[in-house]
Amino acid sequence: MSNLAFATPLRSPADEQHTRHIEIVSSREQRRARPRAVYAIVAVIGLFVLFMAQLLLSIVVSDGAYRIAALQTSQRDLGREQQALSEQLDMLSSPQNLATQAESLGMVLSTTNPVVLNLADGTIGGTAAAADAGESVISGSAGSLVPNSLLAGVPLVTATPTVDPVAAADAAAGAAAGATPAAGATGAPTATLTEGSVASTPTTLPSPVTR
Amino acid sequence: MNDARKTKRRTALAVLVIFAVVSIFVVRLVDIQVVSATEYNEESLAKRSVSQTTYGSRGNIVDTNGNVLADSVDRFDITASPLLVNTFERETEDGKETVDVAVADAIAELAVATGATEADITTALTEKPGSNFAYVAKSVTLEQMNAVRALNIPWVYDVLHPSRTYPMGSVAGNLVGFIGTDEPQNGLERTENTCVESNNGTSTYERGADGIRIPGSTVTTEEASDGGTLKLTIDSDFQWYAQQTLAQRSIELGADWGTIVVVRVSDGHLMAVADYPSVDPNNVDGVSVNDLGSRAFSSPFEPGSTMKSITIASLLDAGKITPTTTVTVPGRRDLGNGQSIKDSWAHGDIRYTATGILTNSSNIGTSYLSDSLGADARHDYMTKFGFNSSTAVEFQGESSGLVRPTSEWDAVTNYAVQFGQGMTATSAQMASAYQTLGNGGVHMPLTLVEGCTLPDGTVTDLPSTEGTRVVSEAAADTTVGMMENVVNQGSLKKDLTIPGYNVAAKTGTAEVANANGYGSDRIISIAGLVPAEAPEYAIVVTFAKPDTLKTSGAVASTFKKITTQVIKTFKIAPSTVPETKYPLNY
Repeated sequence: MSNLAFATPLRSPADEQHTRHIEIVSSREQRRARPRAVYAIVAVIGLFVLFMAQLLLSIVVSDGAYRIAALQTSQRDLGREQQALSEQLDMLSSPQNLATQAESLGMVLSTTNPVVLNLADGTIGGTAAAADAGESVISGSAGSLVPNSLLAGVPLVTATPTVDPVAAADAAAGAAAGATPAAGATGAPTATLTEGSVASTPTTLPSPVTR
Repeated sequence: MNDARKTKRRTALAVLVIFAVVSIFVVRLVDIQVVSATEYNEESLAKRSVSQTTYGSRGNIVDTNGNVLADSVDRFDITASPLLVNTFERETEDGKETVDVAVADAIAELAVATGATEADITTALTEKPGSNFAYVAKSVTLEQMNAVRALNIPWVYDVLHPSRTYPMGSVAGNLVGFIGTDEPQNGLERTENTCVESNNGTSTYERGADGIRIPGSTVTTEEASDGGTLKLTIDSDFQWYAQQTLAQRSIELGADWGTIVVVRVSDGHLMAVADYPSVDPNNVDGVSVNDLGSRAFSSPFEPGSTMKSITIASLLDAGKITPTTTVTVPGRRDLGNGQSIKDSWAHGDIRYTATGILTNSSNIGTSYLSDSLGADARHDYMTKFGFNSSTAVEFQGESSGLVRPTSEWDAVTNYAVQFGQGMTATSAQMASAYQTLGNGGVHMPLTLVEGCTLPDGTVTDLPSTEGTRVVSEAAADTTVGMMENVVNQGSLKKDLTIPGYNVAAKTGTAEVANANGYGSDRIISIAGLVPAEAPEYAIVVTFAKPDTLKTSGAVASTFKKITTQVIKTFKIAPSTVPETKYPLNY
């Protein structure tokens, strides 16, 4: 621009003004407000995370559905089992069964004089008399006269348990081979329970221990 | 130029075809997505969703101690699809190999597991080969159902079938009743159905290809509701003892039927209502249709001399007699119109007190005592004691008995009703009347149902506790005192006395009317109270038409057994006061 004589162009200044390059320079504030790539990346990653989370959640939920189905089935089965057992318990605790079983063990329901023990002063009320062995309620008559068709297959507690022949053979083989748990290995309860905590004598009642 | 025109035409054609195809797609798309959308959605939902019945549990019937008399249980129907019945492969125990199982073998296995016969199963499976459904076995237990499942037969299925069982069999079977295949048919199951009734609900859910429920898809269309628990006043152990003893003696005596009713006098609660014969609700077909209910409520009969206690109480209350009122009782009382009153034994003039008349059960003596009170007044007393109207229990088929209005009484009926002929009552009514005597003259409503506890804990059906005074306390107590003399001075003294306890009782040997008047049949009974000085329980034992022994003496052993059992079961302390004794003669 120092050598003005050579440098002066032929065009009029108005023309020159026309071609001047003008550029809008953004201010610092504007530049700062301009979107940056990091935001886009964050948004995309966020979306990705959301999608992944949803995918995982739905996997977990559907996995839970299988667990729920399995647990509900097992709850139902256990409930049914519990019900079947309590049904059996109710049946076995029916008075007919209890009386029949008790009498098969030699217990009698005394129909002679009622006698009471007064706990306050230890006196015995009523006139004591021994129960007669023949005073049974069930076996004295034609058996239980209060029918309960559910009890048809219930054996007496005193009935000889049917020994599984296979188990018996096993036990016999065990005994022959000199194995120690020979007798009673078939699962049949042995009749003699000598080592009880209470000495069982026919004439005296064991004194109860209370705390 | 020609080429360019061709190209243009081709392009136009292609565009046209593309447009046509696209528009077909668009039309179809709109049809599927908009026009028929609802239809298709429903169809797809129907394929995914399953509707299921949710079962409510019918309420239990329990005794006063909570022991279960009627219980709801799960049973299962084993079904099959005959269409698919064929040989199938089953894994061996180690799971490595498979073996073929022939249909015949599968049927044999099913028969063992379910207890049905092979023939029945075969018939069921071959009857309609094209069908998709057949019953193999109905109402099998859980154990049996598990056995069937373990067989792994692909064409066999199981369906829940809620059912009812009665763990105690015929203990209180006469009261509890039973239910048929669809609805309750008898007893409390029927009359108290509103308490124990359950309602089944329905719900639908969507399931995936593997049958697993899609989470959150369950829609309950109707909620299932459980039934309430019905609690009876009956003590099942005691009820059993009463039934066993009753049946035993009924068979010995050859009685057509018998009843035992035991009532707690303080509130009218029934401890036992035993009937012979009676039904085992698990096996309804086991007895005659006449024995399905409770005769204690439904069968009125002429009670006989047990009514004399009621007569005595009425006359005492009216102030007409005392225990020692004297009457000279002749061997026969002629009523002047060809009718006469006799005693059960031949005798000349006897100088009885009122207690003597009751103790020896003199009909003639009772008729003279009854002269002191007008017929209407005596009729009123009977009505107030609960005769001629059904008890508050209102049991199914309950009879109210019959006491005719006094206008229909002829000369002999006027007296006969006072010793229990010419009128009828049920065992329950008689027990209720004796409850009144034992409760100081206050008649409590006879009660069989203690209450109904609904699943939400609310208790309904509570019995009324409002009593009505029938006779004065003094009259009631004196009557019981006079009845003690039947036990401590009467002819059955030996058979009725329970050492340590004062017992009050009255015997009855009633003639049974048939088409030709009174025949040789008898209804024998003893009604009583224990302990006599402060009665706690009223006991009525009745046998109808016994063959071997036809006097009330035949009832004594049973009455004593029942009374002894009452003392033991309900823990009655021995009497501490001396027995009441009045002179029988003067």
